[in-house]
Amino acid sequence: MGLDRRAFLGLVAGGAVGTMFTPIPWKLIDDAAIWTQNWSWIPKVPKGQIDYVTTSSKLCPAGEGLKIMRVAGNPVTAGGNPEHPLSQGGVSALARSEVYMLYSPARIKSPLKKSGKTFSPITWEQALLEMADKLGAAKGSVACVSGDGTGTVNEVLSAFVGKLGSVGYFMMPSEATTAAKAMKLMGAQGQAGYDFENADTVLVLGADIFETWGTSTRNRKAFGAKRPVGAKPASNYIYVGPTRNNTAAVCDQWIPATATDLGVVALGIAWHLLKGGATSTAPGFDTFKAVVNGGFGPEDVKRATGIAPEVLAGVAKALASAKAPLVVAGSPFGQGLGAGPFIAGMSLNLLLGRLNRPGGVYALPELATVVPGALSRAAMLDGDLPAFLKGVATGHTPAPKALLVYDANPAYGLPETATMAKALEKIPFKVSFASFMDETAAMCDLILPNSLPLERYDDVATPYGSGFCLYSLVRPIQKPVYDTKTSADVILTLAKKLSVDLKFDSFLQVLKEKVVTLGKASGGFIAKGIMPWQVAAGKPAPAMVGADLWKVLESGYAWTMVGPVTQNGMGFAPELLAKAVKPAKVPSSVVTLVPYAQLRTGTPMTGIPCQDLTTVPETELVAETTFVRLNSETAKALGLKKGATVKLSGAGVDCKAKVHIFESVMTGVVSAPLGFGHTAFDLFSKDKGANYLSLMALAEEPGSGMSVWTASEVKIA
Amino acid sequence: MEENRSNSAGGVGGMVLCALIGFVGVLVVGWVIFPKLLYSQKTQPIRFSHTIHSQLGIDCEQCHHLGPDGRFSGLPTTESCAECHGEETGDASPNGKEIDKFVKEYAKTGVQIPWLVYQYQPDNVFFSHAAHKGFECTKCHLDVAKMDNPPAYHENRLSGYSKDTMKMWECERCHASMGTSNACYVCHK
Repeated sequence: MGLDRRAFLGLVAGGAVGTMFTPIPWKLIDDAAIWTQNWSWIPKVPKGQIDYVTTSSKLCPAGEGLKIMRVAGNPVTAGGNPEHPLSQGGVSALARSEVYMLYSPARIKSPLKKSGKTFSPITWEQALLEMADKLGAAKGSVACVSGDGTGTVNEVLSAFVGKLGSVGYFMMPSEATTAAKAMKLMGAQGQAGYDFENADTVLVLGADIFETWGTSTRNRKAFGAKRPVGAKPASNYIYVGPTRNNTAAVCDQWIPATATDLGVVALGIAWHLLKGGATSTAPGFDTFKAVVNGGFGPEDVKRATGIAPEVLAGVAKALASAKAPLVVAGSPFGQGLGAGPFIAGMSLNLLLGRLNRPGGVYALPELATVVPGALSRAAMLDGDLPAFLKGVATGHTPAPKALLVYDANPAYGLPETATMAKALEKIPFKVSFASFMDETAAMCDLILPNSLPLERYDDVATPYGSGFCLYSLVRPIQKPVYDTKTSADVILTLAKKLSVDLKFDSFLQVLKEKVVTLGKASGGFIAKGIMPWQVAAGKPAPAMVGADLWKVLESGYAWTMVGPVTQNGMGFAPELLAKAVKPAKVPSSVVTLVPYAQLRTGTPMTGIPCQDLTTVPETELVAETTFVRLNSETAKALGLKKGATVKLSGAGVDCKAKVHIFESVMTGVVSAPLGFGHTAFDLFSKDKGANYLSLMALAEEPGSGMSVWTASEVKIA
Repeated sequence: MEENRSNSAGGVGGMVLCALIGFVGVLVVGWVIFPKLLYSQKTQPIRFSHTIHSQLGIDCEQCHHLGPDGRFSGLPTTESCAECHGEETGDASPNGKEIDKFVKEYAKTGVQIPWLVYQYQPDNVFFSHAAHKGFECTKCHLDVAKMDNPPAYHENRLSGYSKDTMKMWECERCHASMGTSNACYVCHK
C-alpha cells in the first residue's frame, strides 16, 4: 500500500492535531522566550560563597572605611564599614564605585610608551629601564605632582624625588593645601581638624561639608546623629555661600554670599562678637580688633555683600550663646580658597575660644614619617602648583627636565586649564602613574599604571577635616585585573636601579614600619566600640595593650588619636587679613562664576564613574551639553531664558552651556557643575559637557601671595 | 475508474488511519523523544553521597545554612569540604576514589567545585531563602538527602536552565495559595 496524497494529508493533519497535545509548541515558545533573555553580552550575577572584607576608600577623598561584598572571592559591591569612624556605615557615590571602576573602559591595562601621538604597550622591564635612563639624565631637575592627600606613598615619592634633586613637590590644590598655608601664616602647628560630632552650632563659610569638603561621609553622619528623624534637632547649622548646594539645602539657615565675600562675612560676624565682649589672648588680637572695627562694621558689610546687619547679628548671637560653636571655612567647590577667608573663619573660632576644645577645632599632630628624606605633610602642602605651572607656561620659571605625576590630573583639574596644559607640554619627560587614561596621562611620555585600591596595599592617614588623627589600611582583596603594579613598589625598584637609598624594598615594608611607629605613639587607640569624638568629649580612651596593630587594621578598624599638637604662638595674622580680606563689588556687566563639585561625577583622577553617570539629572547634562544655573533675576538681567544655549567666556576661553533657571543660586552668580568636559577617559566621561574650571582665572591673594580662584568674572552671551 | 473509486473509498479510511498514525506518532515524539532531545544530561563533577554524610550525623544546615543576615550560603566551598577531606585516602573503593578525586582536583588546587545546581533561578529573580525558611526544603528541592548518587542534571539546550528550575507559574501558584503578594517587585527587583 503506497502513501498517496490523501494518506499523506491525513498523516500531516493527524500529526498537526497531535502536536497540540504535546509539549513541543508550548515548551519551544516558552524556552525561546527565555533564550532571548540570555544574550551573551548581558552580565551574569556571580554565584558562589558570599563574604565581606574590609578596606578603606582611596578614590574618595573622604577616606571612609569600606565593607566589600564578594561572591566566590570576586568583589561585587562596596558599602560603608559601620566600624570605621569615617564611614559608620555610610559611603559616598565615589567610594561606592571602587568595585565597578576595576573594570572601567578607561583603565590602563599595561605600561605604555608614547610613540608619535599614540601609545604602544611595553613590558615593565622596558618601562623601568626607560625611566631609569631618563630620570638619571634629569637629576637635579625633577618635579612631582601628587593628588593623594592621605597616603604614605607621598613619603616614598618625596624622598625619591628629593634625592634625585627636586625642583618641587606639589600636591593638587585642595582644601588641605589652603588650610596648611593659612595655619602656617597664623603661626599654628598641625592640621586643622573639626569636631562636628560634639559641636552644637556650626557656621559653614563656603565649604561644601556634605559633598566635597574633607571627611564628607563622616560629616553627614555627625549631622544626622544630632538630628534624628522626628525628634528636635540637637544642632544648628548655618551656611554662608553663593548657592543652596547639597550642604546648604539641609542647613537650618542659608545666607547668600559670593565666594569672594566669605572673609568679609566672617569679619562682619567678628565685629558683632567683639561688640558683645569677645576677647582673646592669641597674638595679634588688638590689631585684629582694630582691623575689624575699622572696616567691617554692619554697614560696611551690608554695602559689600548685601547682607542685612541683623542677619549677621543673629549669627553672632547664635554662636556666642552656643555651648559648642564651630566655624568652618572652605571653598564651595573644594579648591582655590585663599588664606584670608580661612584665617577670618578661624579667627571666629579663636574669639569663641574653640581651639582644641570638644566640638571645636583641633590642631592635629602629623603622624611620624618613616621613609628617610621624606617631606612632612605640611611641607608637601606648602607648594603652589598653579603658580608653578603658570610660571613654567609663561617662561618665568624654568621647566623641570622630568615630572612625575601620581594620582593627579593637572591638565584637567586646575584653573586656567589651557595654561596648565601648555606648561606640561614644555616639560620634556613626563611620567604618569595613573590608573585611568586621564588628560595628563594622555600627554605623558610614559605611563606606569597604578593598581586600583582594591588591588594594592595603601593607607589613609588623617584626611583633612577629620577631627582626630586617624590611620587605616587599604589592602588588596583581589589580584590586579590588568598588568598593573603598586606605584610605590615601582618607585622603590627604580630607586634601587638609580642607587637611591630609600631604606625599604617594598611598600608593604614601608606600611608595616608606619604601623609600628603608630603602635609606639602615646594616646593612640583602636576605634572599636568607643569612637574618637567620645574620647574628645571625656570618655576614657581604651588601652592598646598587646594587640597586633597590623592585624587589627587589616580587619577594618582604624587607629585613632585625640588631642592637639602643642602650639607656639598661633595668632590672628591681622596684617594679612587687612590686605587679603577686602569688600569688593562685581561690575554689573559680568557675573561671577562659582562652580560646584559633586562626588558622583568623580574627581579629575577618576572621571565620571560609569555607573554614576545614570544619576546625573537632565538639569545638569543633556546629550553633550551641560547646564549652568542662574536665578530668574540674573537671567532676566542678562536676557536669558530657560534652556537657551549660551557661551561663557573667561580666562581667554569659551565654554558652551544651556541655561537652567534655579532659584537656589544668589543673584549675580552663575553656578556651573564640575566633573564634565573631559577630553580623555572613556565613553562615560569623554565629550560630555564643558570643563568650567578652564574659565577660572588665577589671581594672587594680597598678603599671602597664594593663588586663588574661588570665583571668576565671566561674560555670558 | 474502478480502481479510482476503490482508492477513493479506501482512501477515506486510509486517510483516517494515517491521521491516527500521525496523531499517535507525534504524541510519542512529543512526550518521549522531544524531552530527550531538548535536555542534555550531565553528571555532577563529584559523585557526592548525601546518604553517607547524613548517616555520619551531619545536619543539612552544616553545609546549607542561612547566614546571620538572612542570606543563604547555598553550596559549601571547596575549603569547607577540605576540612574533612584534606588528604588523599588511597582507598580503592568507589567512594574512596571519589574522595581522592576531590582532594586531587579541588582541595589541593583551591578550585571551587563546579556543582550543577538543579534549581538556580534566572538572574532577574530575587529569591530569598530567608523568607521561605518555614517550608521543608523538599517542598521545592529534590530530596537528595536520601540519595546515594546525585541525580542526573538535565540542562535545557535552548534556555540553558535546569529542567528542575521552578517556573514562574509555580511560584505564583504557591504565593496565591499562601495569600502572599504576586506583585512584580516581590521577586523582580
